[in-house]
Amino acid sequence: MTTQTLYKSYIIEEYHLEEEPYYVPVGDEVELFEAAYQQRLPLIFKGPTGCGKTRFVEYMSYQLGLELTKVTKNDDGGINMPLVTIACHEDLTASDLVGRYLLEGDQTVWIDGPLTRAVKVGGICYLDEIVEARKDTTVLIHPLTDHRRILPVEKRGELLEAAEGFLLVLSYNPGYQSALKDLKHSTRQRFVSIEFDYPPRDIEAQIVQHEAGVDEETADQLAKLGEKVRNLKEHGLGEGASTRLLIYAGKLIAQGITPRRACQVSVNWAVTDDIAMQRSITEIISSIFE
Amino acid sequence: MPGRSSEVLATLKSEFGKFPAPVLERFEKSLKKMPSALSDDQLAAWATMGITIASQTVRSWEAAAHFYRVSPAVLGNMPYSYFEQWMECGSKLCEESPTLASAYFEASPAAMSKLRSRHIESWSKLGDNLYKGTWKSSTLACRFFAQSPTLLDSLSFQELERFASFLDALSHRSYDLASECLLLGEEIFPLVGEDKDAFLSLATKLIDTGWREVKSFFEAGAKALPRIDQEQRLRFMKLAESLVNNGGTNIPGTMLEISQALSELEEEYHSVVLGLAEALLEEEPLAMPEFIKTSPSVLEKLTIGQLVRWYEEGVNTLRQNKDGGLAFFKIESAHSESVMEALSSGIEFDRVKPVMEMYCRGLAGAEVKLAQTGDLVEKNIGWVSNESPTTEGSTVFVPSVVDRYSSKEENFSWFKVVSTHQVAHLEFGSFGFEFDEPSHLFVNLRWDLEQKKLESAVVVDEVTPPQAPDDLTQGDDPNPNKDQEQAGIERAWLTDMQRFFDLFEDRKLALDVFTVVEDGRLDYRVKNEYRGIRSAYVQVQSDSSGNRPDIKELPAREAMVEFMVRLSLQQYEGVSAPIKYADEAKKVASIARRILADEATVEDSAEASVRIYAIIASIPNEEIPPEDWNDMDFEDEDDEEYEDPEDMEQLLQQIGMGMEMELRPEGEEDYESIEDVDYRGDFKPELAQLMTELRMQQQDEVGQAEGEPLTQEQLQELLENSAELDLEAIQGEVQESSGMFADNIMKETGADMPQSPENSQGPFVHVDEDGGELDSAEPETFVYDEWDFRADDYKPRWCIVRQKTMQEGDSSYFGTTLNEYGTLVTRIRRQFEMMVPEMFRKERKLMDGEDIDIDDVIENMVDIKTGSSPDEKFYWRRNKVQRDVAVAFLLDTSASTAEAIDEGKKGQDDWDAPDDPVEYMVWLRTRRGEQMRRSYKRIIDVEKESMVLLINALEAIGDVYGIYGFSGYGRENVEFYTVKDLEENFSDRVKKRIDRIAPLHATRMGPAIRHTTYKLDQTDARTKILFLISDGRPQDRGYSREGVEKEYAVHDTRMALDEAKSKGINSFCLTVDKNGHDYLKTMCSDMGYEILEDINDLPERLLVLYRRLTM
Repeated sequence: MTTQTLYKSYIIEEYHLEEEPYYVPVGDEVELFEAAYQQRLPLIFKGPTGCGKTRFVEYMSYQLGLELTKVTKNDDGGINMPLVTIACHEDLTASDLVGRYLLEGDQTVWIDGPLTRAVKVGGICYLDEIVEARKDTTVLIHPLTDHRRILPVEKRGELLEAAEGFLLVLSYNPGYQSALKDLKHSTRQRFVSIEFDYPPRDIEAQIVQHEAGVDEETADQLAKLGEKVRNLKEHGLGEGASTRLLIYAGKLIAQGITPRRACQVSVNWAVTDDIAMQRSITEIISSIFE
Repeated sequence: MPGRSSEVLATLKSEFGKFPAPVLERFEKSLKKMPSALSDDQLAAWATMGITIASQTVRSWEAAAHFYRVSPAVLGNMPYSYFEQWMECGSKLCEESPTLASAYFEASPAAMSKLRSRHIESWSKLGDNLYKGTWKSSTLACRFFAQSPTLLDSLSFQELERFASFLDALSHRSYDLASECLLLGEEIFPLVGEDKDAFLSLATKLIDTGWREVKSFFEAGAKALPRIDQEQRLRFMKLAESLVNNGGTNIPGTMLEISQALSELEEEYHSVVLGLAEALLEEEPLAMPEFIKTSPSVLEKLTIGQLVRWYEEGVNTLRQNKDGGLAFFKIESAHSESVMEALSSGIEFDRVKPVMEMYCRGLAGAEVKLAQTGDLVEKNIGWVSNESPTTEGSTVFVPSVVDRYSSKEENFSWFKVVSTHQVAHLEFGSFGFEFDEPSHLFVNLRWDLEQKKLESAVVVDEVTPPQAPDDLTQGDDPNPNKDQEQAGIERAWLTDMQRFFDLFEDRKLALDVFTVVEDGRLDYRVKNEYRGIRSAYVQVQSDSSGNRPDIKELPAREAMVEFMVRLSLQQYEGVSAPIKYADEAKKVASIARRILADEATVEDSAEASVRIYAIIASIPNEEIPPEDWNDMDFEDEDDEEYEDPEDMEQLLQQIGMGMEMELRPEGEEDYESIEDVDYRGDFKPELAQLMTELRMQQQDEVGQAEGEPLTQEQLQELLENSAELDLEAIQGEVQESSGMFADNIMKETGADMPQSPENSQGPFVHVDEDGGELDSAEPETFVYDEWDFRADDYKPRWCIVRQKTMQEGDSSYFGTTLNEYGTLVTRIRRQFEMMVPEMFRKERKLMDGEDIDIDDVIENMVDIKTGSSPDEKFYWRRNKVQRDVAVAFLLDTSASTAEAIDEGKKGQDDWDAPDDPVEYMVWLRTRRGEQMRRSYKRIIDVEKESMVLLINALEAIGDVYGIYGFSGYGRENVEFYTVKDLEENFSDRVKKRIDRIAPLHATRMGPAIRHTTYKLDQTDARTKILFLISDGRPQDRGYSREGVEKEYAVHDTRMALDEAKSKGINSFCLTVDKNGHDYLKTMCSDMGYEILEDINDLPERLLVLYRRLTM
């Protein structure tokens, strides 16, 4: 009897995209990213939730990986651009990023943190929702982002120079306009900023159609809904309906749920708990969908 | 004084012997208690009086005994002169009846303490009058005396008199009844409240109409009154009274029923229901009780607003048929029920507004507001219909009630279709029309037309005086001065829409055609864009086409427009058109159809209108006999795409037709606008564009952009020419009404006409300088120094701050405000609640905690291995970081906050305030008087609303906060109002106080800040914040020095803020004065301050700042 693992597991720094992620460029973000990468300028993605920031970094790591592979002509033909994603939270400590000693039998063993791994292997390190991280943690990345490109590993008393391919990418959602959760200027000014927003209606329809597998008309209506709901932002909605939500709705529709119901559960109830607002959105949904 | 008493006694001894022993006993007992101040004569007179009384009749010795017994107590309540009077009265009573006298004496001690001495005689008379010599009347009179002390608790003497005369009147009918009512009076009068007169007069009237009911009236009153809101009791009694006046029967029963019904109602509705009931009395008194009785059950189904409409319907019924009306109010008629049903299925604007407003914003993607049409009509800027939905470019106006259908769903869906259609004007750019923007579906004729028109105009102006109409169209010859002329004519139009309509001779027709075409385009777009609403839309369209006037009764030209309307309402089958003009109708139809496309723009609509106008204008507006009509079908007619005729010149010629009025056939009727389509309402593109333009211009002005502002004359001209206004319909001269509209429009858009400068600073002579120090003798007053920056020293004990608690107003203000801000409230509340988790911090290196910290454990293990003593503290825990903030909000409630928000732009400094205190108060009062009349929002209102939102937010995080208002006039009168004290808990009373915040006097900031500092200093919070919200610079009578008026006040304020800082209090100033930078820089040099660009941002901004400050 053989055991078969039902899941795939990767060592952090070996994870890279094997299939091309679906991404439709909206502006010049691809060119900007490539240019920044050539010069190894760290990037910060600003944009609302679910508008495609993570998908874009995946897409770029794949694209850059392709080029890398072409240049170095790897034997295994593999695509070689590791992508290390770290979701930031408010208790994220420096050790969580850099690494720590662990006990192993009688001795302690140093384990590299994800950031250290990315630095060593020369991949893209993507720190998602950086504003959530504690301020002292964000300072840690400073030396990595300027000409020095080093990571001090305090506990081991060493300085790590970043490998050639290493690039730091941050994402950040300006929606949280809390004074506490703003990035420090000293951090922000180390990055090239690319602004993301929800794609225009036609592109969004195209994306929804592809991702959710719905027909063109439904996709167009979903995109329309997205646009209308986003109009309500700042009128009580913290965030508009994301492309991701529209895709969810599309997926439900593709599974046979009626459009109105699908939008109700995946869009309306996801964006607000306010009863009056829900009713307004319900009216919009019922105007758009039969 | 046994000597004295024995002396008196000795002289009378023989007299006393005649009477039974108790008389002497009483006398002797009381003698000892009589005040020593009485002279012997007086004492003797007293003793003699008793004997006189006793000797009057056989039984009067009893009265005398009573007399002696109560005398000391009575005398204690009055001077001797009145005591004599009292004795006299008693004696007289005794002559009539000793029993009565006894009762009089018995009741006296208690009564005298409540009765003015001068009323003694009248009081005894009251009892005397009731006594008619019979046994029964004696009982009543005695009882009256006995009850008097209790009655006097709740009645004044005058009221007691009225009560007595009522009893007297009643006693003519029945003594028993009078006695019973007397007893009941004790119970009922405390309940009646202020107006006993009403109650008594009602009772008196009852004696005449149905005296048997009087007792039950009293009983009913005792039961009914407590059920009614105290303030409404008088109204209730008045109702009952007029019922009596109008011959109502069974008043007590009715009262009970009414009060029962009222008690079932919410108290807030009492006033409305009673008000309606009062009005109903004038219609039909008998219906009134029925109305009140049914009102609770009606209100279960209807809102109070709907109740009023139901009531009005009932009154109408009543006027036609009395019995029908009564049945209506008893809800015993089908009509009543069906009205109720229709009302309860109606959609009320207020209920759906929040939802629909968001809906409209969502669709339009702009700051669309939703309002009732009535609001627009009130503004008096050209819209006159209260019912038609419409929009003026930024707000969608809809009817206040929709009750066309019998079910709520249908009504709502009509409402939704209406809103969607109006929003479509904004969404699909009806008002974005640009004359120079090309149409894509048609060849652009507009430009050529304008060219032609200009040329012909030039011909008229320069070449000839207009003699032959033919000349008008002969503008073909090239004009050498064309460019020059055009430059001159450049600004003949204010808006592109106006420029477009200028092309047509008959503007009314042009507007109608354009309206139908554009509305048709929008309907098509909406139905295509919003599939979900399509079926409801089609339903509304078909209902609407059912309501159209009979086309066959219209003259030909109007019929053609009506024909277009039918087509645009999707009626493609059996549309009637005159046979004579069937070809034209077909052409119109095919042009109109062309516009039904997703890519059609408003410019396409305009081009289509040009062509349709050309066709319709050429049709004489004549009557068509009924047999000359033909039903046409267009359902599946996809033949002959419309093509412009080969001969473009000819088409232009046709359009020019409008100018050849003289060639029209005789007897032609003037073209009258056709009826609006109900769900599309009023479409006024010219006005809407104008309003938008003016608003933009206003914004530009603020941003200091160039561009010549509109003059009133230009505006007036536009309005007079526009077909959208029916100026003749409004009474008065055309000039006058267009002027009024122009004024109102200007006001509405905030584009005020230039005003004469009034703000020049008059010379300011200082008078208050030579006063001395002040003392605070009264409680709740505080004395503070004031900083004189010239002298570089404090003026000691210079200002008196009078601390007062704000009066209480209506607590509903609080809730209403929260409702108004709706979603903002939830958003803010959420943001503030989000601050709470941030208060948790992870604390490491603890002996005990939630979990172990991996790094610390490893360190620990390493320590053990290496043999050094390990540190066992390797747990971590989240600790709540105590928020310890105390904040005081100091609100400027000076008179200038009464300024309406829009007017705030004028930047008044109010430096022309007179310095004489009396004049100053007059000045303030007139200023306030002016502002009281305004109904729109003032700065203070926004301040108040901010406080409401703030409280709501602060309650979420539990900071200590206080809210204070300040104002004052002069240094000895700095008023400091507490709305909520720092230590005070939030309560209904605070809510009520907010309601009463109102603009008062001037702004002497220094002392108010010092007093707040003092208050904050008393608390022991770690972070203390003073938040100052003002609308301008500090100023007050005498808050200055010669030559440096403004600086003095500013420097004192600055000093006060510095003092606060030295006490560890952070200050922040938020002002709405746009010219605030100059003095705020000095005033708050190193403290935070902010100037609000738009006062309306205050609530939101305040909260943002607050969060930032305290984190």
